[in-house]
Amino acid sequence: MVLMPHDISPKVAQPSTWQALWLIARRGAIESLRDRMTLIISLLFAIGGPVMVVQTVVRFQTAVIGPGEEAAVGRSLAIFFLILGLAPTTGAVGIASGQFAGEKEAGSLTPLLASPASNVAIFGGKILAAVIPALLYAAVAELTFLLNLVWMLGWDGVAFLPRALSLTLLALVPVIAIFFSAVASIVSSRVRTFNTAQQISGLVVAPVSALVILLAFNLARLGVRGMVLVLLACIAVDLIVVIVAARTWRREEVLAGN
Amino acid sequence: MISGFTPWVDYRCWMVVARIKALQYSQDVCCRGQAGRDGRVIEATGLTRRFGDFLAVDGVSLRVPAGAILALLGPNGAGKTTTVRMLAGLLAPTAGAATVAGCAVVGDPAGVRARVGLVTDQPGLYEQMRLPAYLQFYGGLYGLDPATRTRRIAELITFFELAEHQRSKLAGFSKGMKQKVALARALLHEPAVLFLDEPTSGLDPLGARAVRDLIVSLKAANRTIVLCTHDLDEAERLADTVAIMHRGRIVAADTPAALRDAATTDTLVEITLAAPTPDAVSVLADLPDVARVADRSPLRLSYQTAQPEVTNPLAIARLVAAGAAIVAVTCTTRTLEDVYAAYLTEEAALPASHGART
Repeated sequence: MVLMPHDISPKVAQPSTWQALWLIARRGAIESLRDRMTLIISLLFAIGGPVMVVQTVVRFQTAVIGPGEEAAVGRSLAIFFLILGLAPTTGAVGIASGQFAGEKEAGSLTPLLASPASNVAIFGGKILAAVIPALLYAAVAELTFLLNLVWMLGWDGVAFLPRALSLTLLALVPVIAIFFSAVASIVSSRVRTFNTAQQISGLVVAPVSALVILLAFNLARLGVRGMVLVLLACIAVDLIVVIVAARTWRREEVLAGN
Repeated sequence: MISGFTPWVDYRCWMVVARIKALQYSQDVCCRGQAGRDGRVIEATGLTRRFGDFLAVDGVSLRVPAGAILALLGPNGAGKTTTVRMLAGLLAPTAGAATVAGCAVVGDPAGVRARVGLVTDQPGLYEQMRLPAYLQFYGGLYGLDPATRTRRIAELITFFELAEHQRSKLAGFSKGMKQKVALARALLHEPAVLFLDEPTSGLDPLGARAVRDLIVSLKAANRTIVLCTHDLDEAERLADTVAIMHRGRIVAADTPAALRDAATTDTLVEITLAAPTPDAVSVLADLPDVARVADRSPLRLSYQTAQPEVTNPLAIARLVAAGAAIVAVTCTTRTLEDVYAAYLTEEAALPASHGART
């Protein structure tokens, strides 16, 4: 082979981890939000769910409320902040499953893995891409629930809701969404197909959701300090899962499974 | 696109178009790569990759200088894609080492990825995106500043003649257009090395030709290219060096012409007679430097010779003297396809532990 003259240009640009992470997250989130089917189903959960709950359960509870039972009713209403917020966040599992396994099936993952973006940027970006739309739908659900409550009970009715419990449960929604996304991303990056990723993630998400709801019913008993501790513990679990997953994830594992 | 010509004229025309495009490309969007001190942009030694018990790539060593095209030929599962993935910094080798564009694939895979472009047989696009947004996304990932990104995207869209499709979603693009987008993505950051893994796979003949045009123009723009292909004609036309891979090893590597020469020194000569000639076979068999004389039919004889320029006139004279009326004499040298088949057949007959020839 003949050697050819060649100019050397040492100037090579590489993005920072945070820049790449945000680019990946933003692209993934926008694509999920633009997906018509996901949009319809998620909005159905986010708007239809709260309306149905308020018009059936809340209407019934408030109709039979007796003197001195306001606090108990308020606590049971507050639980809906978590339940209604969690319903659309389970969509994060589907989105996260598509982020690795789905893209691998479509062939669009290889160019991303061939880019200079770091492992942390790719993995973190994928998790964030799944969390952002899920949280937006959860916000719609919470807002719909609150507006329906105000519409049905007026501002006085909303005063039933215990503040500390409501805020803790509201704060738990993104924490759980991140956990679900992280788990689904870990699974998705290590299996071959989107369906397998969804099925395995579902096996993890279902019992965790049940545990969280069980915990929510018992949160009020722990007092404000207990609630804060529970919240901090859940955030710590999230951080550990995300950091360990991002640091241990290797892009070649994804390709080696091809 | 030029069409409707005879194959040879057509081939020459697209070479001319490719050269013009190369000139235009080198002026407009040409990159400058990173070659080593000795001019080698890719240098791999004993590159090995295992997936569990499966040995996908077994001690591959190769050197590619700047501005050259290396074609990796081989059947499915030969290890071409795994080799490319290791060289592109996507897969860490189990053993061995490689330097690509001045960066070690083991020590600095991110550096390698920043300096190379990769196109696979699947374009792998985000199909819900539009072309400029898609290229903006990858421009950002390759760390291009917004002004450079915008300029490069405009240049590449013009170069690939995709300007009128900027408002369409990528899902609506034809396979050829998608492959152009994949190539544009791979060229955004002006990489020193391009890895093209079956870039014409699944394309119609015109689409495949457009991609080959581009490869020619990129070579003229001093880009180093590693091309994985099943298309032997493509390899022969484009590559400076062809490496034949089998069972994860390079079983032969040289220029297409040298491979043909090394595989055989014999030319197959076929003689068509006007009428059967009883002594024709024995006449040919008595000639010096002739092998494998055969009568394929009463009117068709064949033999192999290393010196057709000496043997053929003698054979014709002796046959005519023996009363034969010769209609035609054709000489066939081996094609790369024959060479490829010969190497693979030979390798298949050997035990798996047989060492690679490089």
